Amino acid sequence: MAGISQFVIQSTIRSGLYALVAIGFTLIFGVGGVLNLAHGASIVLGAYGVYLATTVLGLTTGVGFVVGLLLPAAFSGLLYLGIIKRFDHEPIMVMILTLVTSIAVELLVLNTAGSQPVAIPQFVPGNVTLGGTNVQYNLLAVFVLSWLIIVGLFLFVNYTKTGKAILAVSMSDKGASLVGIDSDRINLITWIIAGVLAGIAGIALGSQLGATFSMGRTPLILSFSIVVLGGIGSIRGSVVGAYIIGFIEVGFVQFISNDLTGIAPLLVLVGVLLVKPEGLFGRELAE
Amino acid sequence: MSVESVLSVSDLDVSYGKVQALRSVDLTVDEGAIVSVIGPNGAGKSTLANTVSGYLDYDGTVEYRGDSVREHSPESIVESGLIHCTESRDLFGFMSVDDNLDLGAYRRGDREERKDLVYDLFPRLAERRNQHAHTMSGGEQQMLAIGRALMSDPDLLVLDEPTLGLAPIILEDISEGIDAIQDEGVTVLLCEQNVTFAMNHADEIHLLENGEFVRSGPPEELRTDDHIRESYLGG
Repeated sequence: MAGISQFVIQSTIRSGLYALVAIGFTLIFGVGGVLNLAHGASIVLGAYGVYLATTVLGLTTGVGFVVGLLLPAAFSGLLYLGIIKRFDHEPIMVMILTLVTSIAVELLVLNTAGSQPVAIPQFVPGNVTLGGTNVQYNLLAVFVLSWLIIVGLFLFVNYTKTGKAILAVSMSDKGASLVGIDSDRINLITWIIAGVLAGIAGIALGSQLGATFSMGRTPLILSFSIVVLGGIGSIRGSVVGAYIIGFIEVGFVQFISNDLTGIAPLLVLVGVLLVKPEGLFGRELAE
Repeated sequence: MSVESVLSVSDLDVSYGKVQALRSVDLTVDEGAIVSVIGPNGAGKSTLANTVSGYLDYDGTVEYRGDSVREHSPESIVESGLIHCTESRDLFGFMSVDDNLDLGAYRRGDREERKDLVYDLFPRLAERRNQHAHTMSGGEQQMLAIGRALMSDPDLLVLDEPTLGLAPIILEDISEGIDAIQDEGVTVLLCEQNVTFAMNHADEIHLLENGEFVRSGPPEELRTDDHIRESYLGG
């Protein structure tokens, strides 16, 4: 019994973290249709933004978190203006260039901050016992934050003028232009928001495990699997996808073997592509 | 003093690479008029529509309310009141009818009032207000495309092939819609393959063949033209 409740609690919390990691990627890949391989780099910049502000510059944790959001937001916005906008209809170029950018960011971090993990302040320190399982307050904070962001993003996209314009651009560039929506401006906003979301994910991951220059790689693969499972174009699908993968991942590790860590998202990815390539929710975002 | 023209095109040339799509086209659309450009597939009707609404590079003059279209982005042209309803419709397929119409008023404020007007014009859309656009029939999608264009309270409406592929019964609905649009005082440039339909609505007609206007005049005059009767009205 204790095994089951531990499984449920751990999986639920892990899934919240996964949803948080994937949601910025969802916005760009799912809604914008661009495969952004630099999503991991934004995550790294989020974590190292906090590190830079707090540890290196000695600023307060609050300022550190703000820097951790602004740095990836600026990076993401510039990435759109400098690269994505120019290669709008060339997905291969976008993949190559975002991959190269991502490696450049990793190397920059590696060369300036070193290869050892660095500590990021926790949102909330301490532990609590839930259903016989010891859970860090920090992870609970991440879980709550994840849901606040999911609900916030859902409301923003479906109920605000700018959010609806983001959806409109994702469905038809020409249609958007015909009603007077400036796609470039809307895309820039989307990329900046995605950067902020990746920054939050980076801070959450870094506060849990410490930050490293390569900390964005696993989340990138994870995000990709989650979006493919949930269905491209669906925020709801990504959330469901994050929870399914989170439960499978924790289940594998807890009930089968520790050696299977990180394998679950890849198995799910292959399985979905073979059986149901359109994912669980396909194109249902606007509901 | 003549009435101020809403749209004035002169000596217009448009090319796609080496292929010239429009050649020395002259066209004037006056306030409140419906001017129709007819002609077979590939004659250049959509090219003309796309040029007027700012999507294509051109040589010559295209002025909307005295202002050169070349100087503005398609989005700012929308802002100034020239609305283009394309042949491909370009709806937001995975959004409801309601959301599509709301977005039609993206550059405006009073969307509810305009929406009532569109739903009055096309009651069929009101019945389907929560349905996704991509699940509707071609005729309903066409009504939605026209409705979305009307949401921005157009000054000049460019309608490209509103009747393409529609059943006769739907054609009547679209026809009534265009009458109502004209009653509202909207100026219309109608690019249309269905010559009978165009003749029934237009104040003035231009026949476009291979990128050039080969006949121009009021419908009653062109109805008796030998070339038009033989090639377009079935003799």
